[in-house]
Amino acid sequence: MDFSRVELSDDDEAFRDDARNFLKAQVTAEVRRRDRETGDNFDEGVHVALGAAGYLALEWKSESDGGFSRVRRRIWEQEKRRAHVPWVTWGTTAMVARSVAKFGSAELQNEVLPGVFSGQVRLCLGYTEPEGGSDVATCKTRAVRDGGSWLINGSKMFTTGAHNCQYVFLITNTAPDSPKHQSLTMFLVPLNLPGIEIQGLRTVDGDRTNIVYYSDVRVDDKYRLGEVNAGWTVLREPLNTEHGAVAAAADGLQDTSIMMHQAGSMATAVDKAAARVTQPDPSGRRLLDDQSVAYRLGRSFARMEAALSAPSIYGRVAIAQTMRDISPDLMDILGAASALPFGTDGAADDGSAEYVYRFAPLVGIYGGTLEVFRNMIGQYTLGLGKPNYSAPVKKVS
Amino acid sequence: MDRYELRRLDYSLSEDHLDLQSAYKQFFKTHCPIETVRAAEPSGFDKNLWERLCAMGATTMALPESCGGDGATLVDLTLVAEEIGRSLAPVPWIDHVCAARLLAGLGALGDETASVAGGEQLAAFDARIDSAQGARLIPTGSIADHIVVRDGDQIVRLTFGTRPAKVDNIGRLPMAWVDPGAADARTVLGQGCDALAKYRRALDEWRLLTAAALVGLVEEAMTIAAEFAKNRYTLGVPISTLQGISHPLANMAITVAGGRNLTRRAAWFLDNEPDARPELAPSAFVFMAEEAAKAATMAVHIQGGLGVSAEAAATAYLVRARGWPLAGGDPGASAKRVAELVAARESSAQVASV
Repeated sequence: MDFSRVELSDDDEAFRDDARNFLKAQVTAEVRRRDRETGDNFDEGVHVALGAAGYLALEWKSESDGGFSRVRRRIWEQEKRRAHVPWVTWGTTAMVARSVAKFGSAELQNEVLPGVFSGQVRLCLGYTEPEGGSDVATCKTRAVRDGGSWLINGSKMFTTGAHNCQYVFLITNTAPDSPKHQSLTMFLVPLNLPGIEIQGLRTVDGDRTNIVYYSDVRVDDKYRLGEVNAGWTVLREPLNTEHGAVAAAADGLQDTSIMMHQAGSMATAVDKAAARVTQPDPSGRRLLDDQSVAYRLGRSFARMEAALSAPSIYGRVAIAQTMRDISPDLMDILGAASALPFGTDGAADDGSAEYVYRFAPLVGIYGGTLEVFRNMIGQYTLGLGKPNYSAPVKKVS
Repeated sequence: MDRYELRRLDYSLSEDHLDLQSAYKQFFKTHCPIETVRAAEPSGFDKNLWERLCAMGATTMALPESCGGDGATLVDLTLVAEEIGRSLAPVPWIDHVCAARLLAGLGALGDETASVAGGEQLAAFDARIDSAQGARLIPTGSIADHIVVRDGDQIVRLTFGTRPAKVDNIGRLPMAWVDPGAADARTVLGQGCDALAKYRRALDEWRLLTAAALVGLVEEAMTIAAEFAKNRYTLGVPISTLQGISHPLANMAITVAGGRNLTRRAAWFLDNEPDARPELAPSAFVFMAEEAAKAATMAVHIQGGLGVSAEAAATAYLVRARGWPLAGGDPGASAKRVAELVAARESSAQVASV
């Protein structure tokens, strides 16, 4: 057990200072303003600069392959958060690039990976369908072989970042009559192919995601990842990563659970509320002097710290649930001015708590809904058995 | 505070921790079955179990080596407390070690209190945050030889020729009304800021160890309810496979995972950097005090008509889940303390960054 400050060598300290200065110079007020306006959670200029400075490759590669050491990886992760680097599209890119490295042909790897490291090539996820949900294996988007290529038809929801990406990691159905886990084939589909239409969709937290339509999209077989009908094998690893079912690190140099990035917005809101309640109004009265304010702030803080402490998929649920549970209280104690969003005249906390309130519903569905994770805890850690559902009903339409 | 500060987040237990944990788990499993818990309810105290526990070194471990103790860390003590909660052991270990450590801190483990260290004499203290006037409930007041309370800016040790009478209570604790004015002897142990700060530290330690006990309590209540649910059928399926049952059980597992790690992190900071995160110990307590009652109620509910029986183990967990944290007064007072600590830190950070 160890929660101490990490002692840094002179070299690592210099690395930290360089990284901090670099990120501060890159993520300007203008970048942040544009990010809020577009909801992209991505900035091409910043991303390409990170690539040119070598940071993307250092982050993606393992230490033995020339990537960051453990301590530098952790420094880098924390400094990116400190600087509020837009992060979503690099997250999906890094994840999909692992599948390309593992399952793609040498030709495909050469086409994609150098651009991933330079920042010129970005990758997004084509999983969820308009009629599906967390069960990604239920897939209606069809891929049909036609000579040396495939014809793809269908549509995908929540392809976040598609309009800033060059390829989508697409789940397709290639054997509609087989059991669903033996019916899937994965492709890395170039997004500039004819027949692809990207439609933007803004979400309540301010982000932008996309619906992507595929109409007779012809894809060369070289873009297939893994064997035909063996898509589940390709998908399993990135899905596990996204679920956050990962073991704790012995050196304590990693997040306690997944979603720590999202949890950071909650910590910011709580810390800002704590600072705000001590500021006296013109009559000298502080919000903290109201005992009901003190009680609600303390309780919210306690619940947040418990969520930040929970490991693995317990933490994944606890963070999303706690964001939902405490953000209304944080807004209440700051009063009506907590209704004012970032940048508004007189906003109580620069819109921090109201943002957590709007963000929390999304955090509870990323990578699967909270119900999926509660099922996993029940079935796999408590041994409660596979959940029972009513018999399927025939759709009447 | 700087949430991006580079600190380790290592919650793992060492070999020594694991040995300690398994020794106490085994001890209570062997010596404190639910029948022992029930048998001790009239007095709230099992003297025989207490003597065995003391013989294992459970009280001396908590004292510094300078007082003849083994200098255990608070992290070590949370491991013991968790097993006490899991087994509902009817022993006043948490109150005793917190009071004994306070006496040691005040340099008051002298001749008259020499046998406190080994647990032959029992020490109690007023676990409330807000200092009370007159008669007050002391969680282990009916069995204690020494009762430590605040009186103004003094810390005093009280002794009674006849111990105060035990009162019935939902926590099944050896609780008693104690009137400092009626004590037969009153010894001033310390006075002023420094002495009061030591008392506050004892209050934090009591909350920390009570939070740890509630983690063990919730985990066992959950385990009992989960076993029941796996073997109880409705419409041909185990009720554990219904999300109305499995999801509340999953929530208990999440409470245990988060509450346990928060408690240990809070203990680590009190052990190693007491001024860095003083709000974590009361935070762990606030969280577990609220969640324990919810979880224990749900655990009873899952067992339906069998769960509500006074003989069911589930109800033994239900009453203590409420009674143990409440023995320190309104847990809301701890939430307010958390707010004051955090607000003071954040407002000074803001001033510093201007």
